[in-house]
This record gives sequence, structure tokens and C-alpha cells, in this order.
Amino acid sequence: MTVARYDLLRRALWLGRVLRSRLLQPALMLVTLVVFTLAIVTGLFGTPAGSRNFGIVFVWIVWWALLIVVLVPLFGRVWCMMCPIPAPGEWLQRRAIVRRNPGRPRTLRKRWPRRLKNMWLQNIGFLGVALFSGVILTRPSVSAVVLLAFPLIALGLSLLYENRVFCRYVCPVGGFIGLYAMMAPLELRTRDCSTCRLHRTKDCVAGNAQGYGCPWMVYPGNLDRNTYCGMCMECFKTCPKDNITLNLRPFGADLFVSKSHRLDEAYKAFIMLGCALLYSAVFLGPWGWLKSWASLESLPNWLLYAAGLLAIVLALIPGLFRLCAALSDRLAGHRAGSRFVTYAYTLVPLGLAAWIAFSLGFVFVNGSYALSVISDPFGWGWNLFGTAHMPWTPFAPQLLSFLQVGVLTGGLLFAASMTVRFAGDGMVDARRALVAGLPVIAFQLVMTLAFLWLYLG
Amino acid sequence: MRRLEGIAIALVLSVLVGLPVATLGYQYVVRPAQSEHRVIDIIAYAPEAGGFQPTVIRLTAGETVTLRFHAADVVHGVAIGPGLGIDLGHIDPGEVREITYTFDQPGLFTYYCTTWCSKDHWRMRGVIEVVDPASPDSLPLPERDPIIDALAAEGIDIDTYPDGGPTHGGAHPARVRVSTGLTPHVARGETALTGLTVPDILASLEWRRAHTPLEALELLAQENADADRARLADAVAGLWLSHTPGQPAAGTVASYNANCAACHGQTGAGDGPAAGQTAEEPAAFRPDSMLPMRSDVLYAKIQRGGMGTDMPNFGTLFTPEETWALVDYLWWLTFTDDP
Repeated sequence: MTVARYDLLRRALWLGRVLRSRLLQPALMLVTLVVFTLAIVTGLFGTPAGSRNFGIVFVWIVWWALLIVVLVPLFGRVWCMMCPIPAPGEWLQRRAIVRRNPGRPRTLRKRWPRRLKNMWLQNIGFLGVALFSGVILTRPSVSAVVLLAFPLIALGLSLLYENRVFCRYVCPVGGFIGLYAMMAPLELRTRDCSTCRLHRTKDCVAGNAQGYGCPWMVYPGNLDRNTYCGMCMECFKTCPKDNITLNLRPFGADLFVSKSHRLDEAYKAFIMLGCALLYSAVFLGPWGWLKSWASLESLPNWLLYAAGLLAIVLALIPGLFRLCAALSDRLAGHRAGSRFVTYAYTLVPLGLAAWIAFSLGFVFVNGSYALSVISDPFGWGWNLFGTAHMPWTPFAPQLLSFLQVGVLTGGLLFAASMTVRFAGDGMVDARRALVAGLPVIAFQLVMTLAFLWLYLG
Repeated sequence: MRRLEGIAIALVLSVLVGLPVATLGYQYVVRPAQSEHRVIDIIAYAPEAGGFQPTVIRLTAGETVTLRFHAADVVHGVAIGPGLGIDLGHIDPGEVREITYTFDQPGLFTYYCTTWCSKDHWRMRGVIEVVDPASPDSLPLPERDPIIDALAAEGIDIDTYPDGGPTHGGAHPARVRVSTGLTPHVARGETALTGLTVPDILASLEWRRAHTPLEALELLAQENADADRARLADAVAGLWLSHTPGQPAAGTVASYNANCAACHGQTGAGDGPAAGQTAEEPAAFRPDSMLPMRSDVLYAKIQRGGMGTDMPNFGTLFTPEETWALVDYLWWLTFTDDP
């Protein structure tokens, strides 16, 4: 399917110059590195009260909301361009921060196992973090240790493997950013694929004097989805044909690239949707016992919680969805279950909407903590900007429910329209396509109602 | 480009190394050095998580110190006693409250939580040892309490009484309860006393503190054989609080609410939210249990605590005057109860 695209760089020449600058990425990384380092130091040495600790407030409220409400839905993987986590490893590999070091990256040149060239490790990593989220998201010291572990793992992998193996195959955050980046109306693409095909030296992969070969191990000439492009902008620098650009395009255009649909990504969609539901119940729901189970206050209760989370996310939700998908297949005249993976991509807009609604729930309520911790990041009684004693004030509580309902409804409608389109693939009769999609739409509706019930009571 | 690279490396190193060194160095080296006096950070955790950290602070008499209390987990409250009048109020999780104070005289002081932060809230205490600069190695000894000594000399064990009383699991010898059917009220006391013959000894505060209202009632009954016992009981209620007329002081009520009400209940009915968690059922300040009770015993129980009952000692928190004010408030609760 061809969708309308708007080449941003044709209109904004200055943007092309900015993207080609070797200073862009290090400058952004330096800014985020300051915040990231402060988050770790405050987590380790600051107050154990999460609501007064910069590490908790700025990572799990400010950064998270910025990521899931703004950056990913609108700009795709743009966070990966400025993420500080892989920075030390990458700089050591290159033995350079800004300049293009002509030598090959310094690593042990191990080969990443073929069977791990997918999203499964990221799925496992995200679930690992999710299981302990009751502790990680509330206890600054634990949060700091986890945050510190990420760049250390990335550094270790960068010593063994060339390029951004951590970001591409391991980072628990990168997995879902990649999945939801398919929704973004911004994409990095080639202007003309045939130019790439005919270009012999493939500088975007091999690198040249202007830049490194794609650290994300992506060939821009084949790029048809945002999922694995980290927007590092190296290909802008290396392409001698001026064939790389940034396009504006309709939301969710990547989701219809059906030849790329994969089970690991489908499961990422299930995991994200299920975790959004459970997080909403744990952190925003009225069940104190559930929160204490998730907070690891007693091992047996936490084990029950962990077993429940895994069962719901890995078995119950995919199982129910498989039943619905099989019914839709039958109604569409396909072999039952043959489009299970394809239908799973309809959960991407729904899942993203659920995460936005969930994030709005706590950022509206707890966002004001950011004002006090910016002045007193450690909770030591500092008052750097005179805002340390600003009281906790929920923001526009009367507006929150409307926004959550609107976002969830939008997600449901997008998911339902995708479902009808997938169900009607090869069909002429639109009514029959709608009927065929109804079981999957019913699943989406039930999930949406569950979220609405949790948010609105 | 080489120059840019050098700047970039310097910036990265300044972030990774400089930022932690600068922030921690400012807090732990520069800030204390800039302060004119010692600054001590005290982290308040719930008792199960360790209570106050540190639990002991040693100062020299005459030393000015800033004590900074940080609430780490739940809402705490901080006061320092006895006799200093320092109450920092509630501290929300992550908040810091501080006080700069000069401890003039050697002695032992206690900083304690004033908010019911957990079931072991009463364990949440720390000690400030203020030593004499002339003999910094010798700790100040706690002073003996003459009231408790006098009770001991009299042979009264404040934990042992001849009759049973309300416990969680059965009778306990430390309680006495007498069913008199009387509900004396202080508001009726003055009217009730009109026309009665009152033995002189009942006017003595010292006597009243060392005797029970029941004993006073018997003395009144001997002198006023025709008087109704309910009226006599009202007269005793009036006499018992005659040295503190009017409403109880706000500070005393606040102290009771902060330190006693969680177990004994805000109205003294023994039904506070933590009443079910104590080893023994908390005493109710009601006529049946209080008419056979002596004020000096109440004083001793508050000061020293109740053995095996989970009643903490408050002698390290309250001065004798503050304790007597609390005892009077217990009588006020007893004699203002309208069943």
C-alpha cells in the first residue's frame, strides 16, 4: 500500500544540515547523560522516599511520560538517538565522541548468535523489569542499581560485539520503543530505493570518512518500518547521494507492512498490553494488597504476583486473542489461526493508547513532584531554584478522565479499523470484512473497557 | 575537530566524574565546613526498618548543633524532650525538618516520633547524650524520680494489683476494676459539694495524688452519711480536678493525642486504633477502672511504662510537670465521660 509522505528535508534545508552534523548526537547524549548520571547518584545517595528523589521522579515520571506520551507516538525512535545508556560503550568502541575515527570499532568481533537476532531477549528483559517494577519504580536505590546495570551491560556487549547489539537485541526499553515507533508519523527513509540498489559501495552500511556504517545494522535501502532504525543519523552523514530523508506520514503506516510481521514482535504487543493492564491495576487501582504483593513485601506473595503476571501476559491474553483471531479467520474463510500474528499488530495502537492513558494517570497526579525535586534532587534539604517546598498538587484532575477516555477510544478505533482491513485482505465485500473482524474487535473492546473500568472506576 | 573532541571528552568526564564528586562533596564536605556549627542528619525510618539513624548522638554542653531530620518512608513526627518544648511536627516522606539548638546543660534527651507511623511506633526513639565538657568521658546519669521511689518505699508495685481486669486473653493481676455504678462528672462537682462537709485532708493535692477517689468517697460518706452516693461521687470528681479548673491545656491534649490516644483512644475509652495490637488491652479511663486508682501510680506508669503491657516509658520524654498534667487530663477524661 502506498501512503502519502511529506519530505521534511526538501522544505527545511537547515534541518538537513543539523542532522548531518557530527555534533548533534553527542550534544544530545551529553544532556541526557547529565540527567542519567544525576538519577543514579541521587538514587544511590539521596532520600529513600521515592517522591522526593530525583532518580525516581525524573526517570519514572518525567522521562517515562515524555517518552510514551510525546516522543514515541510523534517521533518514533528519536529517544534512541539521545539515549545515554549505550553512549560510553559506543564511544569506547569508536575511541571518539564527536569525530569520525577512521579505524574500525575496537571490539573482540564476536558474532551475535543468529537465534537471538530478534526481540525475544528484549521481551524477556522487559518482563524481568516488569516483575520487579513495584520495587524498581518506587525505591531509589534499587532503581539506581538497575539504571547503572543498563550502561554496564551495554558496555560489556560493546566490548564483545561491534555496533549497537545492546540497543538492537537486548535493551528492554528499545523493544517496545521499536514496536510503538511504527505508530509515529515521522520516519527516516530513502528517497529512492533504486538509488541505493545501484550504489555499489553502500557507504551507509560500510561507513566512510563522513560517518560510521549503520550502528543499528540496518540497510536504509530496505528500510520500510521504524522498528529497528535508531535514528542515529549516521546514514545522513555517509550517504553520498543525498538519498536519506525524514518524512511525515500517516500514523501507524508501518503496521501495514505485512511481510515484516513476526511472532516475537506480536508477543511484544501482548506483553505491553498485558503489562499496561497490570500496571494500571497495581499502581492506580484501589487494591493495596496487590501493590504490596508487587512491592516484594513478602516473597510468597510476590511469587504469586509474578506467576499471575506471567500467566496473564504470556498465556491468558495471547490465548484469548488466538481464539478471537481463529474465529475471525474462520469468518474470513482463512485457515484458523493463520493470521494470528498479523492480527496481533492491531494491538499496537491499542497498547500505545493504554500506555499513554496509564502514563497520563500518574503524570497528572504526581508530576508536581518534579518541581520540588529539581530544587532538592537528593532530598537533602537543598533549595536550588526556590521550588523545593512546592506542595504536591495534582494537575487538572477534572481533565484527566476525558483525556484517558479520548486516547483509549482513539486507540480502539484505530485497532478496529486495522482489524477490518486485515480481515478484508483479498475481500471485495466490506461488510463481510467487518463481520470477519468482529471477534478480534470484541477482544479489543473488552480490553478497552477493562482499562476504562480501572481508570474511571 | 580535534579541539571539539577534546572538549567533548572533558565534558563527558566532568559529567561522569565531576557531577557525583561535586554534589556529594558539597553535601558532605563543603556544606558542613560552611556551617558555623555541627550539622547532624538523622534519617527517620519506620521502627521495623531501623527507626532513627543514628539512634545516639553525643554532644558537649554548650554546643550549638543543627539536627536535620529526614523522613525516609512514611509520615513521621519529631519532638525532643524532656522539657525542651521542641516539636518539629509532621514530616512527610522525603521532607526535611531541622532545628538549631544549644544544649546548655549536661543531660539525657530523647528525640522521638510523634506520629503513629507503625505498630511499633513507640519504639522509635533516639538519645542525645549531652556531656559535661569538663568530663567528656562520663555520661550524665538519669535522675531518680522521687514519686516512683516513694511508691517503692511504700511497698506499692505499680504493676501488681490484687484484682483482675480487662486483658486480651484473660485476667491480669495488674488491673483493678470496681463496679460502683457511679458515673461522677466534674461539671456537677461544684454543685454537689455545696452543703457537704468536706474533710480538710481532701483539700490537699498531695493527699489526693497518693490516694484513690474511692478512698475520698468513703471519707466524704463518713462525714455526710445522709448524702446520696452519686452526689458524693460528683463531689469527688470536682475535688479531684479542683487544682486545674477549666478546660485542659491545649498542649496537654495535643501531647495525649500524639502519644497516648493510639492505644487508649482519643476519649480515653481504651479503644485506640492500635488497641488490638498491644500485649495487654490498654486501660480505659472510665470510673470503674479509675476510681480505685491513685494519681501517683498513674504518674509512675507514664514515667516508667507498664511491665509486659506494651505501655512505653515516657520518663525520657516528659518532665514531671508534663506528666502530672497528663495525669490530670486522664482524670478529666474519666470525669467528663457521659455514658
